[in-house]
Amino acid sequence: MEQPSGAQVKVTFTTTETDIELPETKRQLLVPAEIRRYGLSRILNSESMLDTGAIPFDFLVNGSFLRTSLDDYLKTNGLSLETNVTLQYVRSLIPPVYEASF
Amino acid sequence: ATHLTESDRSMRDYSEALDMWTTFQTKTHGLSLSLSSQLRLILTPSQSTKLSGSFRTGKRLNIKKIIPYIASSYKRDKIWMRRSIPSKRSYQILLCVDDSSSMGDNSSSGLLALESFVMVARALTMLEVGQVGVLGFGSDVFVAHDLTGPLFASHDTGARVLQQFTFRQDGTDMCRLVRKTIDHFRDARLLTQQGAGQQDLWQLALILSDGLVQSKDHARLRPLLREAMEQRVMVVFIVMDDAGDQKGKGGSVLELKEARFGADGMPVIHRYLDSFPFPYYLIVHHLDDLPGALAGLLRTWFAEVNG
Ligand SMILES: [Mg+2]
Repeated sequence: MEQPSGAQVKVTFTTTETDIELPETKRQLLVPAEIRRYGLSRILNSESMLDTGAIPFDFLVNGSFLRTSLDDYLKTNGLSLETNVTLQYVRSLIPPVYEASF
Repeated sequence: ATHLTESDRSMRDYSEALDMWTTFQTKTHGLSLSLSSQLRLILTPSQSTKLSGSFRTGKRLNIKKIIPYIASSYKRDKIWMRRSIPSKRSYQILLCVDDSSSMGDNSSSGLLALESFVMVARALTMLEVGQVGVLGFGSDVFVAHDLTGPLFASHDTGARVLQQFTFRQDGTDMCRLVRKTIDHFRDARLLTQQGAGQQDLWQLALILSDGLVQSKDHARLRPLLREAMEQRVMVVFIVMDDAGDQKGKGGSVLELKEARFGADGMPVIHRYLDSFPFPYYLIVHHLDDLPGALAGLLRTWFAEVNG
């Protein structure tokens, strides 16, 4: 298993689906830089966020779906951990697949 | 984190920096005056608050001297305490401004930090209590204005500092900043003491930042902050939190949470500031809040160290 670096990225969650909107005070969050779609989905579903159980979410970053870890996304785009990443979440249209790591 | 030298750090255009300094100085003049007059009372006490000593006349009886006084058949009559005259204090103050890109990218924390810097630098210049230096920090630390440099009396002096802040550093290494601050103050103290200085020297660092530090550094900062305290260096963290007021409540560092995954893979969410390691910090939403908040914090601190 990959050793977590402990690095964090600040993200801002947005959505266009009004029934799953977060209250303003919960939209900004520091998350582990290694996080992927599945981990972000679990955070959103958690009791202290949307408390929605297990809805699979997909995340749009700059217009395209996040398919790598956040730090890979940053590296690929020449961005640093100083970047505040805006993540637009939508209910996933892809059938859920088992993923071992977050 | 790369090492930045003077030459590859990006610089703001001089005339732009000069315009900024002039605008900020005019805009914050009233606040500078207010801060300066509040700090004068705190930093330059004309009267000691402590009663001490043994005198024939004075302000209050020293209870411990009463029994010997009677036992000596009223001969040992130095039974009164007076307010002692305080020694003249001098200060070395470092203003540490966050130059990392989190201050600039779709955030106006950088602007608030620069305005705050101008306001505080002007207030300290009016006070004339000692030396004022400026450090910039991000992934690295640079000296933007030396402690031995002139005070901020001319627009040119100020503009040359503002030129050096462009908020493009790709990290916020707070541990490195605190380390460099301690070292810088140690050198500065040695230099001062080689000179005339039998004065009472106080060293104070004010950090102007959005407060966003990698949480894993919080634990590493604690021993450094203890070392600063042992070196009699006071560190005040001023969190630039303009989002707290203007753009709805969502953007404020006060509300910011962090998510981690527990050993069971479950996400756990904490308030970011709960592990924030700086014992003296204040959160500023508006520039107008700063003079009162900073003076209040310093008053509390001086009361603690003098108590
Ligand atoms: Mg930063």
